[in-house]
Amino acid sequence: MSNYQIKEIKSDRIGDKYFEIQHESGLKIFLYPKENNNSTYAVFGTKYGSIDMCFQSSEDSEVQKVPAGIAHYLEHKLFESEDGDAFTRYAKTGVSANAYTSFDATCYLFSGSDNIYEALEILLDFVQSPYFTEQTVQKEQGIIGQEIRMYDDDPQWRVLFNLLGALYQKHPVKTDIAGTVESIAKITPELLYKCYHTFYNLNNMALAVAGNIDVDRVLQLCDKMLKPSKPIQVDRIFEEEPQAIVQDRVEQKLSVAVPLFELGFKEKAGKTRLSSKEVAETEILLNAIASDASPLFRRLLDAGLVNETSFSYEYFEGPGYASVIFSGESKDPDKVADEIKKELAAVRQNGLNRDAFERSRKAVYGRIVSSFNSVDYLANALVADAFAERSLFDYLNAVASADLESVQNRLKTQLLPEYSALSIIKPAE
Amino acid sequence: MADIEQRSVCDGVNFRSIKDDRFKTVRVSVNFMLPLEKSMAASNAILPFLLSRASREYPDFTKLSERLEELYGAQIDADVQKLGDVQLLSIYASGIADRYALDGEKISAELSRLLCSIIFDPPLENNLFPQDGFEQEKRQTIEMIESEYNDKRSYARLRCEEIMCKNEPYGLNRYGSKEDIQNLKRENLTEAWKNMIQTARVEILVLGDCDPEPAYRGFYRAFSEIRKEKPAACTTTNVSRADQVNEVTEKMDVAQSKLVMGFRTAVSLRDKRYPVVRLMTALYGGTPSSKLFLNVREKLSLCYYCSAQYNSMKGIMLVQSGVETKNVDHAKQEILAQLEEIKKGNFDDNELNAAKLALCNGYRTVGDSLGAMEAWYLSQTFAEEIKTPEEAAEDIQWITKEEIMEAANQVTLDTVYRLVGSGENVE
Repeated sequence: MSNYQIKEIKSDRIGDKYFEIQHESGLKIFLYPKENNNSTYAVFGTKYGSIDMCFQSSEDSEVQKVPAGIAHYLEHKLFESEDGDAFTRYAKTGVSANAYTSFDATCYLFSGSDNIYEALEILLDFVQSPYFTEQTVQKEQGIIGQEIRMYDDDPQWRVLFNLLGALYQKHPVKTDIAGTVESIAKITPELLYKCYHTFYNLNNMALAVAGNIDVDRVLQLCDKMLKPSKPIQVDRIFEEEPQAIVQDRVEQKLSVAVPLFELGFKEKAGKTRLSSKEVAETEILLNAIASDASPLFRRLLDAGLVNETSFSYEYFEGPGYASVIFSGESKDPDKVADEIKKELAAVRQNGLNRDAFERSRKAVYGRIVSSFNSVDYLANALVADAFAERSLFDYLNAVASADLESVQNRLKTQLLPEYSALSIIKPAE
Repeated sequence: MADIEQRSVCDGVNFRSIKDDRFKTVRVSVNFMLPLEKSMAASNAILPFLLSRASREYPDFTKLSERLEELYGAQIDADVQKLGDVQLLSIYASGIADRYALDGEKISAELSRLLCSIIFDPPLENNLFPQDGFEQEKRQTIEMIESEYNDKRSYARLRCEEIMCKNEPYGLNRYGSKEDIQNLKRENLTEAWKNMIQTARVEILVLGDCDPEPAYRGFYRAFSEIRKEKPAACTTTNVSRADQVNEVTEKMDVAQSKLVMGFRTAVSLRDKRYPVVRLMTALYGGTPSSKLFLNVREKLSLCYYCSAQYNSMKGIMLVQSGVETKNVDHAKQEILAQLEEIKKGNFDDNELNAAKLALCNGYRTVGDSLGAMEAWYLSQTFAEEIKTPEEAAEDIQWITKEEIMEAANQVTLDTVYRLVGSGENVE
């Protein structure tokens, strides 16, 4: 048995616990046992996403610039090895396997009820075994090309990226995660290996397993499978992002029946991620301003400007970027944007209603408690929190103990109308 | 998984509950089933949305929403789906279990009570639903129909089903049509509501960490008073084979073309062989180790997605893919060629076992989600015998290669639907 510290992290509120292990290979491991669950969900992720297009590792003599979409391309190609692909190996276990690339992370996952340890061995093995050749890299151009095409027609996707392009001048968050047909044509096996060796270092990765698991057995498997990584430093290079936005309005025509909109409010963001407390306060604030029970939502509904199915809001934040985004379908997006800005001005002037704050605190709390049912949520959140340097139960506690004044104070730095932009997808004639 | 308890509330109204403290939440749903008919589809469809926005106790949408937020962000929502030729109208409530309330509130009993009052005690004025709520829900239902057009992948699937089943009730939109919604009269809705609560076949599900008794008593009182008539007959027609192939191409300004192929399988939920068709569909196009994924995507690089789905209520199998316009016919040929492979038995034990394992894995994880359990038991409503997911997993084990081949040989192509770009984007 190897040496490592196992930290037990408990929440009396939720009645659950998980284990955090710093493995000697460099990997951070999170194990969340749910004894009576049928299924288990495992995520093996690297803190490496679409925004990491310019970097220098301590092993490199110079700065590397790589084509847009390469992190996502690498995700597709890592499933292949010299003797077949990971899906074929997984097929013998019955688990359902997948992967995703986001702005700041790439994650490989599976969920299943049986043969969990066999599947975990496959997961740990293939993610640590890159195999890229000219031929296999070439083959993927057609598949990912069609994935990009699919997103070109997806109004939800387009409205978001048009908004990010209007809000961000330099930050690569404005670049499509999959890149473009042109940018991915520049991807070579050498570039893939370069990115792989820089970011798929266990010191830059995390493993989370939630469900019906035996902690010792998972750790024994980790001891067997993990190849110690040399600790390296990676400097992710971002041009400085000015606070000002690019343009306050952007429109595109697509074949849609009803216009779609996203209204974004950009705020200052550094390399250090926001704390659980700040995120919790923002969630409560947004609920108080725009939930189904809010006066704003009622006005929008009565005026026939939004519908319950599509109107929503989110706090969109990651390394070097943070924005609040309101979205939905509307026959008059400009009017919706005006109404939202008017409401923000009123809340700034009159303060947040105490009853609305109390209700919102309870509502956000209840939604987080509900999410703890799902092993998918738990494993993904543990990995995302590890990369954001946050801790899973802190968020719930921060919501439970939030106070009106701190929530209201968030308005000093966020939801500022001078840094907002409206993105609209209109029906093509 | 904890055991399911089943009882009858009255003729046509079933109550099923699973009490399981592994969950931190509760979910109560009341599901009304009525025959899907052109004349009633729109008025039925708007009902769950209209009812879930207010009650006599909370006649105002905002007041009801405030009450739900006080109950820790509990939700009352509505949904309309098609279950074969049956219109499924659902109203459900979900929230956290009582033990997590910060101030000791009793959440689950209150949610069942609210749900009951919403369904049976709407805020009628002169026997009519209030005008403002009615207008709101009319507009929102029309917008839901319109937004089906925005997602091209699901739009193409809907169009294929519509074309393929144009002579069956299933070919209707689940919400009726835009026109019929537009022409709805408040006067008709009170009647439609009464018809729904008095004659629909009803499945009530109470799942999660709560005592089902208060919910049972509440619904028992409400339903036993009003159920006098025989429940509506909910039948579904099954066309066993296609005599000819119907090819339809529509143009739209899109970057990627969509191809949807509809097949008749000759086997539906009430047929003993339905697990065989389910397994055959998984082997054909249900997983990343299926014929369609490995050949149409991985080998030929024609697409990002190509998959097959089986609709057991209708006995229909649909294959969907997104491809370049110039490759649509190549993809179609390959999709048909892979079906031929299965008909001829050109698949080995590894492929068959992989499909079995994947299906069983899906069945065994149902019990970990309240939403999945609800969907499971609703999908079983019209089966000869209600099975647990574990029993369904067991049924799959014994299926042989020969049975799969036999099932595949009964499959006939009915409709090929193409949604193609206007041409500018073709390389």
